[in-house]
Amino acid sequence: MSEDNILRRPISRRDLLKLGAAIGGAGASAAFLAACGATGTSSAPSASAAPSTAPASSAAASASAAPSTGGKLVIGAFEDGALTPFKGTIIPMFQQATGIEVEFLTEPYDSFFAKAFQDGQSKAGQYDIYIMDDPWIPQYAAAGILEELGQHGIEMDADYPKPFADLGFWPPREGARVKGFESGDPKLIALPTIGDLQTLTYRNDVFPTAPATWDDLVSAGQAAMSSNKIKYGFVFRGVKGNPVVTSFYPIFRSFGADFFDDKWNPIFNSAEGKAAADFFVTTLKSLAPKGVAEFDSDQEGAAILGGDAAAIIQYSGNAIKSDDPAQSKVVGKLDFGVVPKKVAAIAQIGIFIHGVSASAPNKDNAIAFMKWFATTEAQTALARAGDLPVKTSAFTDAQAVKDHRLLPVALAQLTAGAQARPRTPDWSKVESIIGEALNSALVAGSGGGAAMDTAAGQVKDYLTQQGYYS
Amino acid sequence: MAVLTTSHPARALRGSGLDRVLPYLMLGPTLFLVLGVVVYPLIDGLRSSTGFFRFGRQIRSVGLDNYAQAFNDPHFTGAIETTFRFVVLAVTIETVVGLALALLCAREVRFIRRLRSTLILPMIITPVVVGIVFRLIYASDVGLLASFARAFGLDAPEILSTGTGAFWGLVFLDVWEWTPLLFLILLAGIQSMPVEPFEAAKVDGAGPWRTFVDHTLPLLRPTILVAVSLRAIDALTTFDQVYVLTRGGPGTSTQLISIYGYQTFFQFQQVGYAAAMMFMVALVVVVVSGFAIALMRRRGR
Repeated sequence: MSEDNILRRPISRRDLLKLGAAIGGAGASAAFLAACGATGTSSAPSASAAPSTAPASSAAASASAAPSTGGKLVIGAFEDGALTPFKGTIIPMFQQATGIEVEFLTEPYDSFFAKAFQDGQSKAGQYDIYIMDDPWIPQYAAAGILEELGQHGIEMDADYPKPFADLGFWPPREGARVKGFESGDPKLIALPTIGDLQTLTYRNDVFPTAPATWDDLVSAGQAAMSSNKIKYGFVFRGVKGNPVVTSFYPIFRSFGADFFDDKWNPIFNSAEGKAAADFFVTTLKSLAPKGVAEFDSDQEGAAILGGDAAAIIQYSGNAIKSDDPAQSKVVGKLDFGVVPKKVAAIAQIGIFIHGVSASAPNKDNAIAFMKWFATTEAQTALARAGDLPVKTSAFTDAQAVKDHRLLPVALAQLTAGAQARPRTPDWSKVESIIGEALNSALVAGSGGGAAMDTAAGQVKDYLTQQGYYS
Repeated sequence: MAVLTTSHPARALRGSGLDRVLPYLMLGPTLFLVLGVVVYPLIDGLRSSTGFFRFGRQIRSVGLDNYAQAFNDPHFTGAIETTFRFVVLAVTIETVVGLALALLCAREVRFIRRLRSTLILPMIITPVVVGIVFRLIYASDVGLLASFARAFGLDAPEILSTGTGAFWGLVFLDVWEWTPLLFLILLAGIQSMPVEPFEAAKVDGAGPWRTFVDHTLPLLRPTILVAVSLRAIDALTTFDQVYVLTRGGPGTSTQLISIYGYQTFFQFQQVGYAAAMMFMVALVVVVVSGFAIALMRRRGR
């Protein structure tokens, strides 16, 4: 049959079926080939990565001299001001040192939490490294979506402060363990990224030195408000859920209260816990703006940087803006200190922590990044760029301390007392219950103790339902 | 020439039986797509709603326990109550205001087209943006309303920091954004009404109120019912604005079922329970949708 005849001939049903089969077959082949290509890329060891079996220390020592052989690495993180120096300094340094091209993707906090978890569960491989908030670790680790780092020769060395180091292991090295993880060796599944923790930011024209106790803060704050020296003695985050619990945490812990006993029974409605809640929703509210129950970190930050607040307790993301005239109206009037105490001066640890996705398409590059980021060189650069590092040696780097006065205060807070939130995959629900009750009491301006009782009952019911006590 | 004599496509198809199969083959890709993105997720969701999940995995099947649990969960029943209160209030106000605006804009006077275009603007703004804008208006520290109040020597209004204030603030936001939809549908309804009854009423000396009660409302009733039903379905699933504006607070004053469902699924990872809750809400939406469709069919006839 000539070509001419073929073109003229009308299409019969057999031709139609043949054509369909051909198109289908071609499509399937293309998809199959594409999939093979992707698998090939992901499984091929990257020459740029340091040998995965090398000890962390030796890998760390040689990382800066790692050959530049390229490849790709996708890091996902939630949006936060504290990641600005990380993005601006650390990523370019790593790219230059290794030739690995880094794609840094960020999403709002809640959105990234859900997206990264989905990515890990569905093994979609959108990210190689997740930069997480430390309370996410139990949830992510329990679901098995984080790579065990020990098998790649990564270790948690002694230069990491213990409170930070503990957060990289699952099941926890110390303290109560949730059902299903009672036994078994703790495995390293993440490394600290930014050593964030709460510290006090205060006006040095209101407080001559950092208020050592809550009584000091309240009396000086009230005096300054009465004399119209300042608008608000103390400002905090009051929005229900995570914001209000985060603000309440240093008060709660400094009153000597705790959330759970070693059997996961709620004890936050203890006498200390109730006293802290009452103090929070009455005394501290009286120093704050009337609408503080609607305040989140943006409004809290605006209050201190705009010159309306005498003191706030905050993470580093806003604190590092204090000396920037473009962002602060009170440059030179803000100092940092350890959080006030009642029986102790305990702040909340909220470190950024990174782990490798078990389904990472560029796993070798991710491991190479983790090893490189643990080097003294990278940690010092992080501290000098203005972020809180995760290794003690970098906290004391002379140049970094000279440029960033928050560093020694953060180290002092670590020494004075800094604790992470309870290590359970159900923390977000527990926090939501406590946050809702506390927010309602804050709106009412009373009933903090009763709110703790209500929340304790709800938390107990919830944990019972989840099988904690069976 | 040979081509014409040896083959006639229609006749050939009819003889072979392929004519019966071909339509289904042609529908295949679309059917496959619908099965993949609608039917499969629904079935999987229904299956999940009968499971107990821990750490992102189904541990065991619990039958209808998740559904039963919802009725004993004060957060769920509270969220349902808040959602219905919100839908009833918002949609009622939107209908009344939308109808008033539609009656006003139904007359052909100067600049009326520009006015109609302006009135529908809020509807085309992204809901998240509307939420952010209203947060900036309501905020008690730097909000627009607070600034106005201070300029007149008054205390800044506390809208988002009180339960009642936040709820009404949310209702007002919804009214601002979605009244234009009601306005648009009702305007179309008014413009499609026959003129004869109105001319007759005028001849009979009926006043504007009498004409409105005796002619406009009865003639417009099917349109109003359709508009209200459509808007109610949409309002039942309101999420973005609440999430940006209040996150469901203070307390549980603005916790709509969409917010609680989102938290339960994504934050607390209670996949089975969240699926059960959402299926119950979906059932309500299906009932309301069925009502709306029945009304539209009746109107069509």
